[in-house]
Amino acid sequence: MAQEVLRMDNITKIYDNGFVANKNITFWLNKGEILALVGENGAGKTTLMKVLFGLESPQSGSVYINGEHVKIENTLDAIDKGIGMVHQHFMLLPSLTVAENVALGIEPMKKGLFDFNKAVKMTQEVADKYRFNIDPLSKVEDLSVGQMQKVEIMKVLIRGAKIIIMDEPTAVLTPQETDELFEQLLLLKEGGHSIIFISHKLEEVKRICSRVTVLRHGYCLGSYELENMNESDISRLMVGRDVVLKIDKEDPKPEEVVVKIKNLVKINETGKKVIDGISFDIRKGEVVGIAGVEGNGQSELSDVLCGMDTFSSGEVKINNQDIAGKTVHEIRKMGLAYIPEDRMRHGCAPDLSIKDNIISDRFFLPEYRKGLFIKHKYIDQLVDQYIKDFEIACDDKNQPVRMLSGGNIQKVVVAREFTSGSNFILANQPTRGIDVGAAEMIRKTIVKKSRTEGTATLLISADLNEVLECSDRLLVMRKGKVVAAFPKANEVSEDELGEYMLGIKTMTAKEMENVL
Amino acid sequence: MNKTRRIETTVELVRILVAIGIAYLIALIILYAISDDPIFIIRQFVLGPLSSQRRIGSIINLAIPFTFTGLCFCFMYAVNKFNLSGEGIFMFSGCIVTLTSIYLGKSGLPPVIMIPTLLIMGALTGFVISLIPAYLDAKLNANIVVVSLMLNSILVFLSIWILKYGMRDPSIGSLGSLPIPETARFASIFGKFKIQAGIFIAIIAVIVVAIIFYKMVFGYKMRVVGSNPSFAKASGINMLGTIILAQLIGGSLAGIGGACEILGNYDRFKWSASTQHGFDGLMVAVLARRNPILVPITSLLLAYIRIGADVVNSKGDIPIEFITVIQGIVILLVAAEEFMGGFKKRLIYKAAKDDLKSDKEIVVQEILADDESKTEARKESME
Repeated sequence: MAQEVLRMDNITKIYDNGFVANKNITFWLNKGEILALVGENGAGKTTLMKVLFGLESPQSGSVYINGEHVKIENTLDAIDKGIGMVHQHFMLLPSLTVAENVALGIEPMKKGLFDFNKAVKMTQEVADKYRFNIDPLSKVEDLSVGQMQKVEIMKVLIRGAKIIIMDEPTAVLTPQETDELFEQLLLLKEGGHSIIFISHKLEEVKRICSRVTVLRHGYCLGSYELENMNESDISRLMVGRDVVLKIDKEDPKPEEVVVKIKNLVKINETGKKVIDGISFDIRKGEVVGIAGVEGNGQSELSDVLCGMDTFSSGEVKINNQDIAGKTVHEIRKMGLAYIPEDRMRHGCAPDLSIKDNIISDRFFLPEYRKGLFIKHKYIDQLVDQYIKDFEIACDDKNQPVRMLSGGNIQKVVVAREFTSGSNFILANQPTRGIDVGAAEMIRKTIVKKSRTEGTATLLISADLNEVLECSDRLLVMRKGKVVAAFPKANEVSEDELGEYMLGIKTMTAKEMENVL
Repeated sequence: MNKTRRIETTVELVRILVAIGIAYLIALIILYAISDDPIFIIRQFVLGPLSSQRRIGSIINLAIPFTFTGLCFCFMYAVNKFNLSGEGIFMFSGCIVTLTSIYLGKSGLPPVIMIPTLLIMGALTGFVISLIPAYLDAKLNANIVVVSLMLNSILVFLSIWILKYGMRDPSIGSLGSLPIPETARFASIFGKFKIQAGIFIAIIAVIVVAIIFYKMVFGYKMRVVGSNPSFAKASGINMLGTIILAQLIGGSLAGIGGACEILGNYDRFKWSASTQHGFDGLMVAVLARRNPILVPITSLLLAYIRIGADVVNSKGDIPIEFITVIQGIVILLVAAEEFMGGFKKRLIYKAAKDDLKSDKEIVVQEILADDESKTEARKESME
């Protein structure tokens, strides 16, 4: 009989806006096992883990550790009880060294001062013990994403965590880095640690986990031994149907150039070349994907193209018009539609209604106003139609956007940008953090618009599956440069892509010549 | 979700009422403690303002300037700019309007031309003055609170200077301007209520502002910019223009307010210190939760408390300063958005739990059974 180290019993968590994220969830974790916690985005995985880690307090339910009832009021409590969490977004200080980051909060002291040497020693000990190949003296900003994640894990281990929560650890990793992480996790497992592994990549779950707990719409659908389950069983429990990860699309028939980018360079405030001489075209009727580890210039490229930021040199033309020095308003008029990376910051005004959010890019057009007045009746009809077309789950068009789920907020953004009549769509992480159903709809619409309406699309995404499935041509960005270009995205494997993303391989300009 | 929305609105309303209730309760307790005849004082404080037609008229007359400055701050709030120049504009506009009326009075213009001209003059004064902090903020990134507060001091002393050296009436003992000509003064209406005719202008102003906010393109832009500037930028909305224009409209309203106050209630300009109408307007706008439609109501409420204080001051042994304390308590409780937040949360949790009961739980067997029947059907069809 396996020894139970953790049990969460009947957890119910209701947020202040009335959203019930966890509905009477019960699950347990055995000593020395890797338990997969799966479910769609919005199913309540992250909330449940926040409850466990003391970041949220549940309305009802109890937590037992080693059979003992415990109360976790805050994260210090959780750490004290041997729980550690590796967040999806790293909580590290880039300008400090690995040792300083690891020791932060538990600093060794000597005569009232921070004992740096001791911190280095402590870090080295942990690294040796768990076979992390990391130099405690290197600065975090110089590390790769995979190494940063190791620092995060070391932080958790040095605090004596026995139960480790990993929130979608592979989302930001390349396939090679993922392999390395898994080896590490198996080592930890043998060492008696128990791991809760959150993911929606089912093949990964099958690879390293022994049991799986499935959440859906806030309910727990039970825990299963993985040897009796195949991937489609799990996915059915997660979404209630088989998830179609494949998108059927005809070959593109690219026509004239819509967007032309030539020798684009952007130097940021600190003098770093964040975009380093990028050139490529996007043609009518095709989807160009950009893959790459986050922070390699993709966000900057997106900001420059939509006019939110300026560039240093080079040329960008949308429908033969130069965007240099133009405002967002003017660039949108040239034919840009823009799905921003951060939907809550740039994609919507959370306190305003769905209606107000949908007309934000077009209210000034003659169609939507009568002199100085807004044509409310006409817009109401239109918005009602969009809500239906894009399947936005809401009370009505006057509901504030903040009350919707993430997927539905993104649908509001997409409903606006896809109906703007533009022939260039810049989609930056269009499906990040939203449920599978909504993501599928958005991806299909992107492809459909390029085929039927001839839209030129630039798809920037950290989700490899997404760029591989939706794109026609595929580029890889690394350190502000295009380091690889493939004429057909569906002929590229994830492993090959990973090698270019990590810089193991680079294409020469000549190899890419005909693809850009 | 609809339930949550309803709870939020209800609690909001209850919260304001409770805040006022608590403030009154505290006031009553203090009155009880410090007054020799508390029952009489309390009755005067609560019912006094409503005891005669004249006093009711006074409440309304006092609410008129509050309405204007309240609307002014609704605009400042809408674009998230704490431009406090409404205070100085109110006084300065009164001064400029008086000066203009004295000059125009000599030409013998009839009231139908005189009064609109003076109102426009007031609006123009507010428009121009509010441009200063708005522009400095937008172009030079000067702290708008500091700039507008300093500006207020300048305006106060500029008004006094104009009064002393530009239009002082040497024939009266105290400091005061030459009389405002009869043709410029508002009539007092509704008989014994003695309400100044500026009330019509105030009503029109509320309606116009409500239309700007909720029906016009500009109001929409203003709401987007105020709600999430980053989003406004990404949508291509001209932020700078919207932010500045909103402040100019706000300033104009404060200017009209100053004009109405002078032309409706005074025969000459004799303000020698800041009138506090601007800051009262700030309070009105906060109480109205930046909603222009609620501004007249909160103005009346504030005016009612003020007149109550006046009555108590004249009838009993309680100093007027005491009322400021009560006002402070009301504002404190209403402005504290999380006051009664726990109560709201409990209601929301309860509603959500009730929903949970009627929520159909997902049954695993159904999903898997449904699936098995499908696969079997597929197998059969293949055979």
